[in-house]
Amino acid sequence: MRALHPFTLCGAALALPALAWLLPAPWGGAGAAVVALGLCAIGGEGSGVKVWRAALLTAAPFWFFLFLLHGTAGMLATGPRLTTMIASFLWLIAVLPPARLIEAMVAAGWPASAAFLLSATLSAVPALRERGRRIVDAQRCRGLDTRGGPLRRLAALRALALPLVLSALHEVDERALALETRGFTPGVRRTPLAPPRDRVAERALRWGLLIGCVALLVWRIA
Amino acid sequence: MSAMLAFDDVTFAYAGQRALEAVTFTIAPGERVALVGRNGAGKSTVLRLVTGLLHPSTGVVRVGDWDTARRRPDELARRVGSLFQHADQQLFARTVADDVAFGPRVTGVALPEIAARVERALASLGLAAVAGEHPYDLPPPWRKLAALAGALALEPALLVLDEPTAGLDRRARAMVGAALAARAESGSALLVVTHDLSFAAETLDRALVLERGRLAWDAPLAGLLADAKRLEALGLVAPPLARLSQALGLPGGPLREQEVARALAQRCRA
Amino acid sequence: MSALALEGVTYRYPATRTPALADVTLAVNRGEVVGVIGNTGAGASTLLLVAADLVPRVLGGELEGRVTRTGRSALLLPTPWTQVSGMAFTVTDEVAFGPANLGWPLERITGAVERALVRVDAAHLAARDPATLSGGELQRVILAGILAMQPDVLLLDEPTAELDPVGAAAVWRLVREVAAEGAAVLVASSDLDALPDGADRIVWLAGGRVRAIGPARTVLSEATLWTEEGPGSTAIAGVWRRAELAAPFPLTVDEALERAR
Repeated sequence: MRALHPFTLCGAALALPALAWLLPAPWGGAGAAVVALGLCAIGGEGSGVKVWRAALLTAAPFWFFLFLLHGTAGMLATGPRLTTMIASFLWLIAVLPPARLIEAMVAAGWPASAAFLLSATLSAVPALRERGRRIVDAQRCRGLDTRGGPLRRLAALRALALPLVLSALHEVDERALALETRGFTPGVRRTPLAPPRDRVAERALRWGLLIGCVALLVWRIA
Repeated sequence: MSAMLAFDDVTFAYAGQRALEAVTFTIAPGERVALVGRNGAGKSTVLRLVTGLLHPSTGVVRVGDWDTARRRPDELARRVGSLFQHADQQLFARTVADDVAFGPRVTGVALPEIAARVERALASLGLAAVAGEHPYDLPPPWRKLAALAGALALEPALLVLDEPTAGLDRRARAMVGAALAARAESGSALLVVTHDLSFAAETLDRALVLERGRLAWDAPLAGLLADAKRLEALGLVAPPLARLSQALGLPGGPLREQEVARALAQRCRA
Repeated sequence: MSALALEGVTYRYPATRTPALADVTLAVNRGEVVGVIGNTGAGASTLLLVAADLVPRVLGGELEGRVTRTGRSALLLPTPWTQVSGMAFTVTDEVAFGPANLGWPLERITGAVERALVRVDAAHLAARDPATLSGGELQRVILAGILAMQPDVLLLDEPTAELDPVGAAAVWRLVREVAAEGAAVLVASSDLDALPDGADRIVWLAGGRVRAIGPARTVLSEATLWTEEGPGSTAIAGVWRRAELAAPFPLTVDEALERAR
């Protein structure tokens, strides 16, 4: 799966949520969600369980709020759609290293800055996770007890949330500056170091997905 | 006197790599120990084992009478104050004072005592003026000092520090040295990972040298600094004062600035 | 001739009244190594940011005075873990990151990367994932990434902070080599012991102003370095002064041995 061209992977990650929203609820959304979660499980390569579990855990609060606001019907209609979006995004992160995406974009003629911006978004989640781990380690080494019941865990989460966001934002500042030191020249095309191979079949698949989604959109509107 | 820290035949391996191999040593309360070695020799791993973030693959790490494998890091924090590299990742409160107060607060120190400890810790490192600032507004070297203040405020029985003087100017280095000496005099044991052998000579007494995961030397620091050949073999360089002291054959082989200065003055006036 | 020249440069960070640099005039010539010393907050890092054209362009703020550069400049930050691209699988790709952004043809990139890795003694790390490197290894790799861009003006902010003494000595030797090849080097360092031999000239910054500028040994021998606003000098100078022996203080062990005999 990782050998596929980055654009194919992006295409799939965009197409699945699109299909989830365009296909009639609830079975359309549910079907797409199942596919997305399935991809998570396969694409995770060993840690696949972690990926689809993360997707479900992230989606769970949304299901809860949907139930509160719209009752069971609303929850069943929109829940799978949201799950598909979350699962597709997490799958993409798990399966597409930012470096490959940049290479693909640069080889296709995108400006380097756009490529870096997109890849930074993709690497944001793993980077935040890593940073969160380091902050929690530091807090534990200063005496913060992180186990215990849900109330304790919630308190620990609160202790983590603000520093995580603040330090991440601060680092974004520093990293933006640091990136500027690595040779960005306006108007100069970045040299692709290892452009990923693009097969005819994959290109056909991407076009197929796009045409399919557009057709579905037209059909739904009409 | 029972040991404050004991490594008993500790081996640590992860992902097929052996980071530490059969490491054995003890540190008594009040001892000041430098942990020295090339990049990648395993020094940071030792610190993570002491704080309980890692457990040994084989062997036992004991802090006082506690086996670190049976204790959580937050429990060990009652006895171990730590400073890791990249202090930026250790600071998480909105002001420097709050951050320094975090450890004492969470480990249950009484409120009035917390304020006193924070004040003392900040004053000892020259941070009193920036107590109300956001940690990220400080220049990077001072963030390191803020993180160290947090460890000092715990007034722990054992302080484990990773490169506390890297990137600091002369005045800050002197303050760190004085603060650590004061802690050691109150009975804390110090285990300091450092490249800065000048700082080590000034503040610490004993040297543990790690070489590719193994303990290659465990003896007084003075002995190590006087042994040019061994230093070279370990990829280390004797600090300038030690080299001067040796080359001039100063009586007593002094290594600390004050003592070298005294011997030098006597020598040059004679 | 100078590759980098600052004339009467005053710079204020955004929304700050006190200037971080005040009326700084300095020139760095091709083939020369200029060291910048000063206490934390004296303005050394800001000076390098100005020299690298990152300030005010990227960070904002107000700049007065003139900065002239010939050729390309490259800056090594004191925090290598923020400077790592985060978008490279291998050390080779990491080092190639800069040259690729410069749009060089692939063969030129490969050659520059190989050479840079050898020069920082990190060739054995070529296939490693940058995320698994130690602090010292990472600093060397980022330095290689900067060198691979073949800058005319090399700007280094605390290049040896994460390195062990042997690694640090190697970097100072490398800095000399790079200067000898024609680059102009401006390096901020708190490793004062390395500067008598490592730098040709030294600038002492205090409160954003140039307090002294001149040949390395001359500046490092100034008695005023030992006041509140100064970073002191080498360890040998320090002990000489503490022994209350006569100025000018020797700077290195060899110089001290000469004087003591």
